[in-house]
Amino acid sequence: MSMIRTEHVSKKFGSLEVLKDINITVENGEVICLIGPSGAGKSTFLRSLNQLETITGGQIFIEDQLFLHREHDRTIHSVDKKKQKQLLLEMGMVFQHFNLFPHKTVLENVMLAPITVKKMKPEEIKPLALKLLEDVGLSDKANEYPSKLSGGQKQRVAIARALAMQPKIMLFDEPTSALDPELVGEVLNVMKKLAEEGMTMICVTHEMGFAREVADRVVFMADGIIAEEGTPDEIFNNPKNPRTQQFLQSIL
Amino acid sequence: MKFLKSIVSAFDVRKWEKKSKIIAVVLLAIFVAASVLALLKPSEERLMNCASTAIRTELAKDEHRSRRQVVVTYNDLYFINYASFSTSGVNGISEKYVGFAGSIYHADDGAWNVVGQFINYTYRMLGCGQSMLYGAKLTIVLTTISILVGLLISIFLALGKISKIPLISLPCRAYIFFFRGTPLMIQIFCIYLAIPGIFEGFSWRSLFDSSDPEAVFKGAFVAAVIAFTLNSAAYCAEIVRAAIQSIDKGQYEAAKALGLTYGQTMSKIIVPQSVRRMIPPVCNEFVMVLKDASLVFVIGLMDITTISKTISASGSYLVFVPAMVIYLIITAFFTFVFGKIEKKFSVYE
Repeated sequence: MSMIRTEHVSKKFGSLEVLKDINITVENGEVICLIGPSGAGKSTFLRSLNQLETITGGQIFIEDQLFLHREHDRTIHSVDKKKQKQLLLEMGMVFQHFNLFPHKTVLENVMLAPITVKKMKPEEIKPLALKLLEDVGLSDKANEYPSKLSGGQKQRVAIARALAMQPKIMLFDEPTSALDPELVGEVLNVMKKLAEEGMTMICVTHEMGFAREVADRVVFMADGIIAEEGTPDEIFNNPKNPRTQQFLQSIL
Repeated sequence: MKFLKSIVSAFDVRKWEKKSKIIAVVLLAIFVAASVLALLKPSEERLMNCASTAIRTELAKDEHRSRRQVVVTYNDLYFINYASFSTSGVNGISEKYVGFAGSIYHADDGAWNVVGQFINYTYRMLGCGQSMLYGAKLTIVLTTISILVGLLISIFLALGKISKIPLISLPCRAYIFFFRGTPLMIQIFCIYLAIPGIFEGFSWRSLFDSSDPEAVFKGAFVAAVIAFTLNSAAYCAEIVRAAIQSIDKGQYEAAKALGLTYGQTMSKIIVPQSVRRMIPPVCNEFVMVLKDASLVFVIGLMDITTISKTISASGSYLVFVPAMVIYLIITAFFTFVFGKIEKKFSVYE
């Protein structure tokens, strides 16, 4: 069973075509790293998956069930709202700028969505929340406000917050790009652990080391299309597409 | 219970900040000093006995007259007192005395005259009926109710205005446009006069017991509160909108990615964060309304400004000084309160 499948996904901002015919299948437990030059549409594609951006055309399937089907900026096949929401909740998202809720403590940040969206009681979700904070190494910060945390700590809280909704897929949108270099490691370690536990992950990243080490498949995007995809070994050691070669040369 | 506890703990001196302790000590010292001066103050009898023979003769004659010729004023202001005697007629005599710290001073001219006038105005201010403190009460009650209720309405107006549904946003826009675009004075007129005109048999005074001699004023006050509330709701709506729209887009995205609905995002994430940003401009609006309250004179009500103007018509313009002092005290108090609220909402920063 594929966790995510997209067919002919396209996205236009006015006349600007950001995504052109993206077809991708992500299997259960697979870790995909999206790499590519800026403006390639990586983030837009990731954000399209959980409807932060509305695609103009194509189909998205979550767990082999139709999530969204649009053509010419119109919804073709309207999916039952309840079903759509349920499928949306299968995906957790981590942002470049963390986007923690600054008026809530770390623990409240993690517990907010399960309480609000899943209508769980605070005492039901608290053990899981504390466990997640322990997993990301922040149990001692549970009652701090986000403003007291470093960037790396904030991002780890953001990961715990997304995991509290018990998603089956995690989407990472450049999770380490806004961090000081010495803080990148702690976040990548948490992500690595998550990958080892079998979480299905899609990461937009510029951390080539991480992609090489953790990814099952690396997807290289350029100009709104998937220019090349393959195992990390194929992409990094033996790129076939000249765009890929050029990109890797420029960053290494 | 929790609320009561928090009130009780506010009186626990051990938990006070150093600044609050200093203020308390200073206030206490002022009170003690005033009390000492009050003990030293000449008695009413002594002050009255200062009057010249001429005055006393007239006073003695007054006992047998049907209409008194001498106007005697005695004002006691706790630590200082003031007496004035004046006779009417062509050869009218006027004498003024100020009693302070064991001595009595002639207050017919010079600095003591100014002091005497001040005592007199302040006394009238503190007195009952149409005093300035009565006006201050009206000003404070009117401002507080209209800002609190107006703020509550304004949250819905602001959310309505930024709504993408025209059926919601258009009426909210129209409301804000209308109430910001027309003078408050006309709005007060309209509500006070037009509503009883439209609804036959309704009058503002009929809201209260007809035997109450104050019913007319109480009715006018209700009309004023409604006008001020509707007006400040429009202004606060723009404050609330600005605060809501200043919240980072990432907050909406994070909430959406976690599956929160728009309503949940607003009530749990966006509005609580924007409250802190609203406080300074709302405080500003509060202080503005405090002074705009003088517009109630158009429907026959008296606030601080109106009353001080009335008093000034009968004499010196010095009366505006205590009026301003009252305004400053009210403003200082509410600025302090708003500061505390802001601090409370800033814990996470």
